[in-house]
Amino acid sequence: MSRIIGIDVGGTNTNAAFVQDGNLIAIASCPTNHQDLLSTTTTVLERIASNIPHPEEQSLRLHLSTTLTTNAIMEGRGEPAAVIITHGPGVNPTDLEFPFPSFPVAGAIDHRGRETEPLNAEEVRQTLQRIRRNGIRALAVVGKFSVRNPSHELEIEELVRHEFPEFNAVTLGHRLSGRLNFPRRVVTAFLNASIFRLQAEFASMVKGISGRYGIQDPIFLLKADGGTMYLPESLVRPLETVLSGPAASIMGALALGEYSESHTAITLDIGGTTTEIAVLVKGEPLGERDGAVIANYRTLVPAFFTRSVGLGGDSQIRWSDGSLQIGPEREGPPVALGGPCLTPTDAVIVLEDVPLGDVKKARVELERVGREAGLAAEELARRIIAAFCEKAVREIGLVLKYLNNIPVYTVSEVLAPRELKPEKLIGMGGPAGYFLPKIAAAMGIDYQVLPCAEAANAIGAAVSRPTVAINLRADTALGKLVVPELDLMEDIQRAMLFDVRKARRMALEKAADFAVRTGAYQEAPEIEIGDEEVFNVVRGFYTAGKIFSLKAQVRPGINRVKIPYAWVQYGKKE
Amino acid sequence: MKRAGKRLGLVFFPAFDWAISADHPEREERLLYTRDQIVEEGLLDLPGLVEFKPEIANEQDIQRAHICIPDVKSVCTKSHLVAAGGTITAAHKVMNREVDRAFALLRPPGHHAMRLVHGSRGFCTINNEAIIIEHLRHTYGTRMKIAVVDTDAHHADGSQDIYYNDPDVLHICLHQDGRTLYPGTGAVNELGGPGAYALTLNLPLPPQSGDSEMLYGLEQFVLPVLADFKPDIIINAAGQDNHYSDPLTNMNVTARGYARLTELLQPDIVVLEGGYSIEGALPYVNVGIILALAGLDYTTVQEPGPGPAEAPAAVKEAVRRNVGFLQEVWQRRRKIDLDEVFGPGPFYKRQRHIYYDTDEILEKQQEEIRRCEECSGYRVIISAAAKQRRAGKMVAAVIIPWHACKSCRKGAEEAFERLKREGQLELVYLQDVEKDCYNTVPSISV
Repeated sequence: MSRIIGIDVGGTNTNAAFVQDGNLIAIASCPTNHQDLLSTTTTVLERIASNIPHPEEQSLRLHLSTTLTTNAIMEGRGEPAAVIITHGPGVNPTDLEFPFPSFPVAGAIDHRGRETEPLNAEEVRQTLQRIRRNGIRALAVVGKFSVRNPSHELEIEELVRHEFPEFNAVTLGHRLSGRLNFPRRVVTAFLNASIFRLQAEFASMVKGISGRYGIQDPIFLLKADGGTMYLPESLVRPLETVLSGPAASIMGALALGEYSESHTAITLDIGGTTTEIAVLVKGEPLGERDGAVIANYRTLVPAFFTRSVGLGGDSQIRWSDGSLQIGPEREGPPVALGGPCLTPTDAVIVLEDVPLGDVKKARVELERVGREAGLAAEELARRIIAAFCEKAVREIGLVLKYLNNIPVYTVSEVLAPRELKPEKLIGMGGPAGYFLPKIAAAMGIDYQVLPCAEAANAIGAAVSRPTVAINLRADTALGKLVVPELDLMEDIQRAMLFDVRKARRMALEKAADFAVRTGAYQEAPEIEIGDEEVFNVVRGFYTAGKIFSLKAQVRPGINRVKIPYAWVQYGKKE
Repeated sequence: MKRAGKRLGLVFFPAFDWAISADHPEREERLLYTRDQIVEEGLLDLPGLVEFKPEIANEQDIQRAHICIPDVKSVCTKSHLVAAGGTITAAHKVMNREVDRAFALLRPPGHHAMRLVHGSRGFCTINNEAIIIEHLRHTYGTRMKIAVVDTDAHHADGSQDIYYNDPDVLHICLHQDGRTLYPGTGAVNELGGPGAYALTLNLPLPPQSGDSEMLYGLEQFVLPVLADFKPDIIINAAGQDNHYSDPLTNMNVTARGYARLTELLQPDIVVLEGGYSIEGALPYVNVGIILALAGLDYTTVQEPGPGPAEAPAAVKEAVRRNVGFLQEVWQRRRKIDLDEVFGPGPFYKRQRHIYYDTDEILEKQQEEIRRCEECSGYRVIISAAAKQRRAGKMVAAVIIPWHACKSCRKGAEEAFERLKREGQLELVYLQDVEKDCYNTVPSISV
């Protein structure tokens, strides 16, 4: 029997959902106290536990999504950290303009992973002394092309371990992502180092929960790619827990939504201030091409593709130069709820006679703005709603245009473009119930407003499964094989016999090793080959070998959730 | 990362699934390491740089620049259409000011493709620069003045052929001396046809020429000529095989040399041509060019290992001599007696053999250009191509230039009617760019 509590500690509210064997049994919520996430977590746990039948009888699993690392980064509360970089030839490192201390040292690796300049250990020592003198204790080490050959990063780590034990955490760039992009790797490693201690403190607090209410160890944390990871693994790669809230919402939409596997669907999370747009293709959320962007930091953290639009129920409405402006700012709650300016919610309240707040106030404000515009209150309200829908449709169009125009690098992909045409809108959030049908009608497609939308993120957390990915690169011309995530570098024996089948088999094996270590294996053993590239290496008119680049991964998956009809009817309100 | 000083569009299309043949220099692997270097440097995240997906060129885009024999789809692969389309995309983004400059970093290349195309030569089938020039003239103004500066190590005989009689296109080519390298042409005295004399300019550089020789040619000769010509658009056909590590050439230019060239030239559109040192040169040269185009520091871009030696004094002297000659030609260009160059008479005639090394085709061409006071003159070409030593049939092409005068247009139309009834010809083509009309008819003897 599977019994899982999913908790999403969000910006305003914390939600919990209890899912037993694919059935949603209970949801609960409480306000988030950012000063004390642990007490927030235990409060919501207590509330949901009281709704769970026989909580002591069987063990429970906890899936936790928090804003801890996200907020720490957004608010600049990470620990001061420094990055030692071996940049080699290329873009001038001073032009990288990292908003944190970075220290270039000698040492270079080329695009095929060959050392073209050795490290200078003495220079590294002096650099470490400088960093230490500045009182910095969190450290990252990142080399250009370190994913092709991590030896310089590993050498520096070794040196730190022996001679500079006061550095508590050394994050190595190559372990965080097997993808190319040196500046993003530097940023990713820096952020990881800066939240390392915070995550360690949080993890030890959370560990205290296990045992209570029959929650078993290990506890799982949500990641930005909609997967989960063991709590202990989050101590190595805490950065992967950023943006887990939005990812959990999308996973919730997957679990609750009705769509066929062939569908392309758009999910709209319509809130007070913003609308979050994500895209499901064949039942799977699209990911960001390179990685998550958080507080203007471009990272390599795998994350779902989302675009945030300044359009929500509380968006500010202005009449200027003969046209309606909606958003992107929110000045406060709707007028009906004592806010300072007209909002789409006010228009809905007046037009539909919704018993929310002070309808009269909303009407007076509509009439006032209507006089400016030369429109009756009802007509203005209708225009506001139409403008809201138009803006949503336009923004969805821009998202699709962007996705349909991502450059591709082969003739066959250019000729057979994967044109995304959504067939369905899946909506969440308070205003979705009213606006979604109208937006869908404007686009001429089906729609679904999710049940229990306010708890979709907690439900998403509960149904998510572990994800893991490794990148294997085998260069038979050089006789080298690298899996950066595992610190693996080895010589290829009998390179002539190394073919794509062997490469796939090894990638799957190494991903399985990694999955066992990170707790992904028992939960989701379906490891598969993702991206795969094979190139002939020709030198002097003869084939000298091949280069294989493969990604082996466990993709984000979910268990669909059933909601009992009666429960939806009566159990919706906490 | 620092914001680019200039907004730069990048159309990157490495055609990872296309090769002339498995072991050919023009193969899938060619831009692999360049892709790796660009992605690892984070250049696709550079604020101010936008990457664009290439469009696909259509038949008309190609017919404006070429006469494909027997037709466009027989000589072009899809990859050629994407590369040509990507170049058009780059040009559009500059013309509609989405970006200040654009780099079409794509393959296959095109600068050896001549106006008549029987197949592939010098790894090229259709001429990407010519295709955008014609596209630009049709879209943004038929009187546009365009300069092409070709910095590939091989003489751009294809672009030269297409524009050697076009007074609105200045074609300047810097390359390894043709006496030492394919295709053999590109001497200082190849100066264009009677309708556009001295607007084809070739600066051959002896083997072992390096950064200082190329930059000397640029600063002493190319930049002053451009300042006089005042083009609306500068296109740089940026081959990268002048690099010291290129396996097919004997030059000594470095990545920083190419970057400096780009910085000085300030091209609006850069189009990749050749360059086959795919590991040692291309990754660094392309990063250097992108940084230079974006207005960022490129001085830290350096190939691993020891650099090239300084050119011998004799090489420097030869470059100075050639530059001196060309400077004089440019100064005197309006005073040159064209009768002395092309002979008197109403038509200038020439005969050529053109070898298509890639497809093993030997073409024999006879060409007549009407010497006209009013316009650049219509042209008639008779061409016979022997494929793999088998004699081919003859075709004829009549070319009406941009802004043809009435009498040239009439003369061309009459020539077309006459050739249609010639009989020995397999096909007769009429290329009329101004009317955007391209006819092919079989020739039937009456």
